[in-house]
Amino acid sequence: MTSQTILLVEDNPDDEALTLRALKKNNILNEVFVAHDGAEALEHLFPRGAAEVQLPSLILLDLKLPKVDGLEVLRRIRAERRTRFVPVVVLTSSKQQEDILDSYQNGANAYVRKPVSFSEFSSAVSTLGMFWLLLNESPPRLHPPSD
Amino acid sequence: MVVSQSPLKDIGASHQLPESGLYVAIVNSSDDAIIGKTVDGLIATWNPAATRLYGYQPDEVAGQPMTILCPPDRIGEIQDILDQIARGERVQHHETVRRRKDGSDVHVSVTVSPIRDEGGRLIGASSIGRDITEQRQARAAGELARRAAALQRVNGNLESFTSSVAHDLRAPLRALAGFSEALLEDCGADLGEEGRGYAERIQAASHQMAMLIDDLLDLSRVARAEMNLQQVDLGAEVTRIAEDLQRDGLGRQVQFAIQRPVQVRADRSLIRTVLENLIGNAWKFTAGQDSPLIEFGTLPAAEEPGVCYYVRDNGAGFDAAYAGKLFTPFERLHSAGEYPGSGVGLASVKQIVERHGGRVWAEGAVGAGATFYFTLDPEAIP
Repeated sequence: MTSQTILLVEDNPDDEALTLRALKKNNILNEVFVAHDGAEALEHLFPRGAAEVQLPSLILLDLKLPKVDGLEVLRRIRAERRTRFVPVVVLTSSKQQEDILDSYQNGANAYVRKPVSFSEFSSAVSTLGMFWLLLNESPPRLHPPSD
Repeated sequence: MVVSQSPLKDIGASHQLPESGLYVAIVNSSDDAIIGKTVDGLIATWNPAATRLYGYQPDEVAGQPMTILCPPDRIGEIQDILDQIARGERVQHHETVRRRKDGSDVHVSVTVSPIRDEGGRLIGASSIGRDITEQRQARAAGELARRAAALQRVNGNLESFTSSVAHDLRAPLRALAGFSEALLEDCGADLGEEGRGYAERIQAASHQMAMLIDDLLDLSRVARAEMNLQQVDLGAEVTRIAEDLQRDGLGRQVQFAIQRPVQVRADRSLIRTVLENLIGNAWKFTAGQDSPLIEFGTLPAAEEPGVCYYVRDNGAGFDAAYAGKLFTPFERLHSAGEYPGSGVGLASVKQIVERHGGRVWAEGAVGAGATFYFTLDPEAIP
């Protein structure tokens, strides 16, 4: 399980700290890479140069991000063959219908609104980790077409 | 130039100039209605364009006062024009309304100029009128387009405002609530009882503000949501809401009297929000009542469509002097300690009822319960 990593795309340092605290509190000890804006997330997933990175087993994606916003990151993830099936959970402040709809339309696997209460937030993070890292069967790895 | 009337003889013919025939032709072929009139305002000449514009044949108007071309509320204009002409002044292009023979009104632009004989004596006036219906329509369309664009800008701003509220305003609250909880968990022992009390207050206030933000967003949703009108039984909806409240009501015994069926045309989700708020309020404000009773029903109403709906309770009521404030967002007539709430519920009710072409009002007195009335008139929805 520890070989599975999480990509947290979050620009707000408070939310980052709270999310990391919630993961720790719930004994989710997977390695977490934090991208602080959409561009950094894309660089992490699609590094320039050859070296192929290990893909995260779960992406926790905020919507409102500097540089490249969450929806655009989501579109890029879904457009690339290699990342097409990586589970993406939108984890954001808003529960506006447009945001929820846009997220699903662009291929989000789930949409979770960050609760204000930390205990609720913590149990949400715990449930997400439990489901996506333990219960859910990931699709078999897709290899890039050989050429 | 078919009309001939003293003292303003046929203008073309009265001139001895060789080109007089040409002048007649010019006037007759003009696209503008050219009317000659006496100093007293009696019609003397009338060109074919005047017939096209106003519908009268020349012999029908000969010798008639100019006022026959005026809607009754503009008769005074004619006298003003005559007064100006009598002073020898021109009346420059002005836009006004004239009435045709068939009784319809037409927007025209009119210029009136004094006419003098060779001795310089004022003998009448010529009035040149042009139909400006099309220009006005074009102008109105332009104005409409400008307003639509302005409205779109405002709406766009509102959308980004709403989105910013939804995304950005909650983040600091999570930090306040989250870190005060972390403080309690990790450093609770060092804080002492007083310190822990403070941290708990920070938490509670953050949750309160998060609720306010959600209510505010709900209010804006209610104002913007698309309406999908269908047949709804208000009585059945109230029954369902009452059952939910009874189930979650921690053993509170509240008697309901619900009229059924009460069929209306409404947006089901929005009208349910109205009933949830009104019944929820009645539930909340009957908390101190020994035998609480909540009623829903209909009454005849003076206004269209002749019926109003009411939710009545025998609870705490309110001071009738402040009844007008009830429906204003964030106005509350009770302290938060007494009855919790954000003061947005009734503002949402008002929004929704008005979007259904109706009106909402309340009656009550302190300690004597409250009754909320509303009407719905889907026919009147713009």
